Amino acid sequence: MSMQIKPILAALHRHKAGTVLIALQIALTLAIVCNAMFIIQQRLAHLSEPTGVDEANLLVISNHWASQMSPQQTDAQIRADLTALRQLPSVRDASPSDGYPLSGGNWDNFIMRTPDQLTPTTDASVYMGDEHMLDTLGVKLVAGRNFNAAEVMQMAPRQVVIPPVVIVTQALADHLFPDGSALGKPIYSMSATPSTIIGIVERLQRQGVTTWNKPYAYESLLWPLRQDGSYYIVRAKPGQLADAMREAPKALYAQSRMRIIDSKDGGSYPQIRERAYDSDRGMAILMGIISVVLLAITAAGIVGLTSFWVGQRRKQIGVRRALGATRGDILNYFLTENLLIGIGGVLFGAVLAIGINLWMVTQFEMARLSLAYVAVGVVALLLLGQGAVLGPALRASHVSPVEATRSV
Amino acid sequence: MFAYYLQLGFRSLRRNPVLTALMVMAIGFGVAASMITYSVFRAVSGNPIPNKSVQLYTPQIDGWGPQQNVKGEPAAALSYTDAMALMRAHQASRQTLLYGVNMSMLPGGSHSLPVAVNGYAVYGDFFPMFEVPFLYGSGWSAADDNGRAAAVVLSEEFNQKLFDGANSVGREITLDGHDYRIVGVARHWDPKPRFFALFNRSGFQDPTDLYLPFTRALDMQVSPTSNSCRGHLNFLGWDDWLRSNCVWATSWVELDSTAEVARYRKFLEDYAKDQQRAGRFAWTPNVRLRDVMQWLDYQKVVPPESRISLIVSLGFFAICLINTIGLLLAKFLRRAGEIGVRRALGASRGEIYAQYLIEAATVGLAGGVLGLLLTAVGISGVSLLFRPEIAHLAQLDFSLVGLTLLVAVFATMAAAFYPAWRAAQVQPAWQLKSN
Amino acid sequence: MLKMTHLAKVYRTEVVETYALRDFNIDVKEGEFVAVTGPSGSGKTTFLTIAGLLETFSGGEYHLDGIEVSNLNDNARSKIRNEKIGFIFQAFNLIPDLNVFDNIEVPLRYRGMKAAERKQRIMDSLERVGLASRAKHYPAELSGGQQQRVAIARALAGSPRLLLADEPTGNLDTQMARSVLELLEDIHREGATIVMVTHDPELAARAQRNVHIIDGQVVDLSEDPRFHAVHAEHTGTNA
Repeated sequence: MSMQIKPILAALHRHKAGTVLIALQIALTLAIVCNAMFIIQQRLAHLSEPTGVDEANLLVISNHWASQMSPQQTDAQIRADLTALRQLPSVRDASPSDGYPLSGGNWDNFIMRTPDQLTPTTDASVYMGDEHMLDTLGVKLVAGRNFNAAEVMQMAPRQVVIPPVVIVTQALADHLFPDGSALGKPIYSMSATPSTIIGIVERLQRQGVTTWNKPYAYESLLWPLRQDGSYYIVRAKPGQLADAMREAPKALYAQSRMRIIDSKDGGSYPQIRERAYDSDRGMAILMGIISVVLLAITAAGIVGLTSFWVGQRRKQIGVRRALGATRGDILNYFLTENLLIGIGGVLFGAVLAIGINLWMVTQFEMARLSLAYVAVGVVALLLLGQGAVLGPALRASHVSPVEATRSV
Repeated sequence: MFAYYLQLGFRSLRRNPVLTALMVMAIGFGVAASMITYSVFRAVSGNPIPNKSVQLYTPQIDGWGPQQNVKGEPAAALSYTDAMALMRAHQASRQTLLYGVNMSMLPGGSHSLPVAVNGYAVYGDFFPMFEVPFLYGSGWSAADDNGRAAAVVLSEEFNQKLFDGANSVGREITLDGHDYRIVGVARHWDPKPRFFALFNRSGFQDPTDLYLPFTRALDMQVSPTSNSCRGHLNFLGWDDWLRSNCVWATSWVELDSTAEVARYRKFLEDYAKDQQRAGRFAWTPNVRLRDVMQWLDYQKVVPPESRISLIVSLGFFAICLINTIGLLLAKFLRRAGEIGVRRALGASRGEIYAQYLIEAATVGLAGGVLGLLLTAVGISGVSLLFRPEIAHLAQLDFSLVGLTLLVAVFATMAAAFYPAWRAAQVQPAWQLKSN
Repeated sequence: MLKMTHLAKVYRTEVVETYALRDFNIDVKEGEFVAVTGPSGSGKTTFLTIAGLLETFSGGEYHLDGIEVSNLNDNARSKIRNEKIGFIFQAFNLIPDLNVFDNIEVPLRYRGMKAAERKQRIMDSLERVGLASRAKHYPAELSGGQQQRVAIARALAGSPRLLLADEPTGNLDTQMARSVLELLEDIHREGATIVMVTHDPELAARAQRNVHIIDGQVVDLSEDPRFHAVHAEHTGTNA
């Protein structure tokens, strides 16, 4: 086998242009497909992140008041709405809220450990609801207790109320108190008034999931506050979400029709997820399409160019056969030739793949490409090349020895 | 000779159908991918107001200090105190403040169902500054600003929804329970990106319904759609909140010469210095004055997705072209015999080169036509790939069609430089001898 | 018309030097019909390619229609080929994708001729070779003899000063070969200068004058008894 390699390389030297073109194509395709696959994986991982809430049964209703009510009137209306919602046969529980996971970012506060701290320790997504909120969201309490009805306070617009108690997520607790002593400790959320941690929930995703939010992933807090009613979160009984989606708005309008329910905000979690991640999904689809087409085009190019070479060398192949080469020898020759070109191509391509990724890391805040992708890409492209050249190589092996005697 | 080569080129397309089809597909896909992503990129990165973009500036003043500001940069909006101070100082020929509002409206009087409307609270200068065209009526005056008039300007689309496009000037609508008199209907005007309202927004939102006076909106306590605060939040009502360090107001000024720009910049620095002296700011002046394009750049209005997809598409196109180089090489050299004959009959190397370059151009044209079809399909499906507000910005207009065909033809000709050269090198003598 | 003096053509590889032509002298006058004969490998094809400006030469001089061609660049040589020389190859060398009309048109296109004049010349040429009815046919649809006649029409269409033929009847059966040869003789009678390379002595006998090449040099066969016999026979039929 090694005896064959030298003459093959020498022959390729005489076909420099074609060799370079195929190698370059393989290199560039490897570089782009590796990065594309990586981008797909990153995006798919992002949009599969769990929210921590009972997505299968949740409905988020966006609610804006259309009449001018005093804060007391608004609060009374909200309490009436909640009663009506909780009485619906398909509804398990309901809670008011200022936002919901994957909403795109409605409310977040800096969190400090001491009142006079200027530089925040971290940032938390702020959920304001009543004592039903934990059950409505379906999040799991892993330490401490839920709010009780007496602790729920009322907050008018443009008024800041800091409840003395707060529930935080495990991620927030760990960030603020890495030694695990969060329960019972006070936190200061852009105020000199402390909020004491009375409960820790396992997981509740932030309202915003863009790149800015990444350092604070899953850090959220819950306050027992009824504010002026931006959202109602409704948890349907298992299997009754469709009914709840029909009944809840009707029940709310029955209470008061001076409200605006925005259909483009909230909804069921499948709808919310689709909205939140559509650019990630789009990117994944685009990278997928480009990768597939690119591989097809590279394969087709190899087939085309190699067929041409086989055609050019008919006489030479005939001579070899006349001198005793078997069909297998000829086949082997072309497969080896393609493998050699492919190896050159994937080596250059691997360097390019890593280089492109490093550039993207600086420009677009991407993660670093894991070498596993490059390795898989190398193998895939070598196989692709061999597969592509199989057809022309088989045709070459069937060239009859009599071609040696024919003049072109 | 050009017509002759063109004729030969089109004929040769039929000759080697598989090879030609491969090339046409490679070029078609490459061109289509590039054009689709380019049309999106073009829509989001262009200058939304080319004839005034160098005269409109947005000031920023750091009201939070080095420990709380945005990584050393002042916030992207102003607090009420600073915004009003700028307006009172009137250091520019035209100036406005603005903030986004969401209000409710009763379209059919007090017994109808309310609908949500969105808009901006602006000063009267907004309309001439941004050259907003009017269908009916006009904006309001500085006197109306000072008098806190309950005026409103509707957009053409909103006017169409409410009044079927009729001249509604003089009529009234009820917003958040209060009446406003329509003083004008703006002709369709939706610059993309919405450069003037980028605070916590992408710049690609739903069309605007209306504009109302900033002063009146504040009087009616219409909340901004977004605000950002620092330090301790301890306001207990509207007035408290106004006086806080929360930022939510965007300021725009019109400055007509570099001298004016320099003067305004100095004014901003002096203002910040005064605030420092007065004890309100505990830090040295940290101000910015950016024009439209600088502001778009700073706010990173172009979503990374459209940049990444354009780059990847161009890389894809490059690979398609390299593919084409190889296939053209094969296609041309297969006919080395014919080239030898033509050379023997008197064709110079230059003539052979031109012939094959033009032949490549015909392949490019075929690829361009395929690319055009794919682009049209792709643009209609581009909402799968980009956010809806951005997706519908991608338009297949005449300039894109022309660009697609030109790019396809010239790129293929570029790919043919080397193969055509090889073709032209075919020696007449060699080909004859082998006979 | 075609005058080569002390012409040499050398092929050099890394190891060996081969002289295809050495000290080659030939003088073909205007209106002559000359056959160039010789065994395989003698250099007669090399002579023809050099005569047709298809290749450069290594030494000596070559005057074509009064112009010394050694220092001409590729563009100039292409122009002379186009305007002054007509080729007739053994393998016809028609372009398969083009029909008869378009094939004959090729050299005229490179001359920058107007469409009307091209059409005139092409139809005249086709008349001359008796194939006017086949103008729209493709080479694959014609017999070998017909294809060669189209090639001759192509060579004639530009009114060349010199016709160079390389084994023009080599791929034809006897009957077709005869008709092609008669055509060539007709053309010669009308005043054309023809130089024909062949290894067939019968073909060579039909020419006015023979030039014999062995090992890249012109050889005088007047001492060769075989030549005399052939020549005598030939002059008999020609008278």
